[in-house]
Amino acid sequence: MSTRRKNVNQVDAASLARWIVITGFLALAGLCYVYLTLQLHRLGDRKKILETELANIRTENDLASVQVTALTSRSALQRRLKEGYLKMVPITEQSIVRLAPIRPATDEDAIRPVANDRIGK
Amino acid sequence: MRWNGRTRCALVCVGFVALFSAFSFRLVYLQLVKHDEYAGLAAEKHVYKQPIYAERGLIIDATGEVLAHNVPVETVVADTSHLNKEKGAEAVALLSRELNLEADELAEKLGSDRHYVVLKRQVPQSAADALRAKLRLQNLRGIYFEHDSTRIYPNGSMLCHVIGFTDFDHKGIQGVEASMDEYLRGQDGYRYIEHNRAGQEIVLYRGQERAPRDGYQVHLTVDLNLQNIVENEIDAAVREFNPQKATIILMRPQTGEILAMANRPDFDLNQRNTARPEQMKNRAIIDMMEPGSTFKIVTAAAALNEKKVRPDTTIFCENGRWNFGGRPLHDHKSYGELSVQDILVKSSNIGAAKLALSVGDQKFYEYIRRFGFGERTGVELPGEISGVIRPPQSWSKISITRIPMGHEVGVTPLQMTVAMATIANGGKLITPRIVKSVTAADGKTITEFTPQQVRQVISPQTSQQLSNALRGVVSDRGTAAAAAVAGFTIAGKTGTAQKVDPHGGYEHGKYVVSFTGFLPAEHPEFVGLVVLDDAKTSKPEQNYGGQIAGPIFARIAEKAARYLDLEPHPELTKPTAASRVASTIASRR
Repeated sequence: MSTRRKNVNQVDAASLARWIVITGFLALAGLCYVYLTLQLHRLGDRKKILETELANIRTENDLASVQVTALTSRSALQRRLKEGYLKMVPITEQSIVRLAPIRPATDEDAIRPVANDRIGK
Repeated sequence: MRWNGRTRCALVCVGFVALFSAFSFRLVYLQLVKHDEYAGLAAEKHVYKQPIYAERGLIIDATGEVLAHNVPVETVVADTSHLNKEKGAEAVALLSRELNLEADELAEKLGSDRHYVVLKRQVPQSAADALRAKLRLQNLRGIYFEHDSTRIYPNGSMLCHVIGFTDFDHKGIQGVEASMDEYLRGQDGYRYIEHNRAGQEIVLYRGQERAPRDGYQVHLTVDLNLQNIVENEIDAAVREFNPQKATIILMRPQTGEILAMANRPDFDLNQRNTARPEQMKNRAIIDMMEPGSTFKIVTAAAALNEKKVRPDTTIFCENGRWNFGGRPLHDHKSYGELSVQDILVKSSNIGAAKLALSVGDQKFYEYIRRFGFGERTGVELPGEISGVIRPPQSWSKISITRIPMGHEVGVTPLQMTVAMATIANGGKLITPRIVKSVTAADGKTITEFTPQQVRQVISPQTSQQLSNALRGVVSDRGTAAAAAVAGFTIAGKTGTAQKVDPHGGYEHGKYVVSFTGFLPAEHPEFVGLVVLDDAKTSKPEQNYGGQIAGPIFARIAEKAARYLDLEPHPELTKPTAASRVASTIASRR
């Protein structure tokens, strides 16, 4: 019985387990590395897509801004005015109220603008 | 030697060691010694410096209206190393069709072995999108799109000479686009990127990157509402008088801010390729003219400031004809004794000549220079000329009688406006300004252009005396009654100069008519100049500054005063400018 035991290859379970763990760890690390690298590439592609989208939105915004400027420019408004699309009513001189500085009244009963001098003091 | 197992084993080991040592040495050689060389070759193949263009700054008027804007476009480029050679003909056909390019030229470009070939610039966004979709559909590689922008000018020809334009490389060529290019241009950025075999960027391997800095915004002193008033009036003047050239300038005398500047002929900034060179000239700063009688303000200023005369000093005007230096000098009417004030009001040439004589050659020349003639005004516009003022050493015997009435000198319209502004603001020569400030896109001020006083030319008292005298010009007694505006006091001076013939002498029957003035005369808000070169009138006797340029000034001044909300003088009850202008026109008919 003892002779038979001598001929059998002895497996050091602890050492084997250690190597299995090390190998497994290295394999896992490798897989993680590959996975993370792929993730980085994927995120890079996503970043590129977002950058493109952002650039497109910015371009659309710029185009809209240019259109707004062109449509509201003085030349465009004048063209519209000539075409009759817009109408302007001139303000008559009588409709303008000017806040002139207070002058002493010439007559006692003369109507003149008044102001509260204490305001803002 | 016995080839036992141990020996053979040792030999195999030695062989392996030698082999791996060779590999190791080669590896070390490649990685250390040849690293830079091979890295460079690899980078050349895959790494690409991608430019990131800065956006050019906007040009904005005093009221915040955008005068020059950027519209996004794309530049189509090719990397010929990424092109699929089998599909070369297909690519040429598609690009030729979509980009409107010659197929032969395109084939030649794509046949080269360059990594960066510009196929077409300034492709509109919609056209670029359509091409992009077709390239994807036909699976064509190696064609790329770069974001870019081009300049558009929403107001077309309005203020064209001031704004200017850029070339294909976004470099300012004319106007503010050129003079403020340093601020407007910004700074392009870049990014080192790597492509895969399909030509797509590998974002993970992005290299060094520098963000672009967009150009700054340039704010002008020009008010587009006033500019519009001026443009409408100059157009009306061109229709009525068909002059060869015309210029109108409005300026704030206290600060030197140019409120409006218009020239004819003009051109559309968005179609500048079709414009002729003479349309592109900003005649306000690059055209030289003999100013004629408007120059008498300098003569009178010199004599009054030197205290050689007082405003009420009388001078004998020789009854309209005076021989000096063997040559006769004429007035357009016969005048006897005229006060200094009336010399300006009646625009007497003989009176002006006698005033200059009282000052003397050298002193008079000094005053001309002190008013800024003969040197650039320093306005922020490119190409300004200094004009021609000859020193007294090269004057002829009669120059002292001709220069006082604006002959034998070459001045620009802007110089003339600045001279009048000097009288309006109390005698200070102010540098005219067209740029108010430069700001970043977020509103932060980068530079502010403040008013700059060059020198005190005449005393405030002299300026007041001149101002009072010039008010008489725009009265029923003066040469510019039609320049009056109801409710406002105007000081001004007319000018009618015979046109200089480029081949020598003067052109018969051709005149440069002008009017320069300010309003309100007591506390001027703006100075204006109207110049019409070779205006056509039905009768020769109507071809005078007071009859042509004066009414134009009046119409502009009336509208400008209304726009600026200037309070009319309550005591002035003169007939309206409109009725005066109408009567002037009626008298012509």
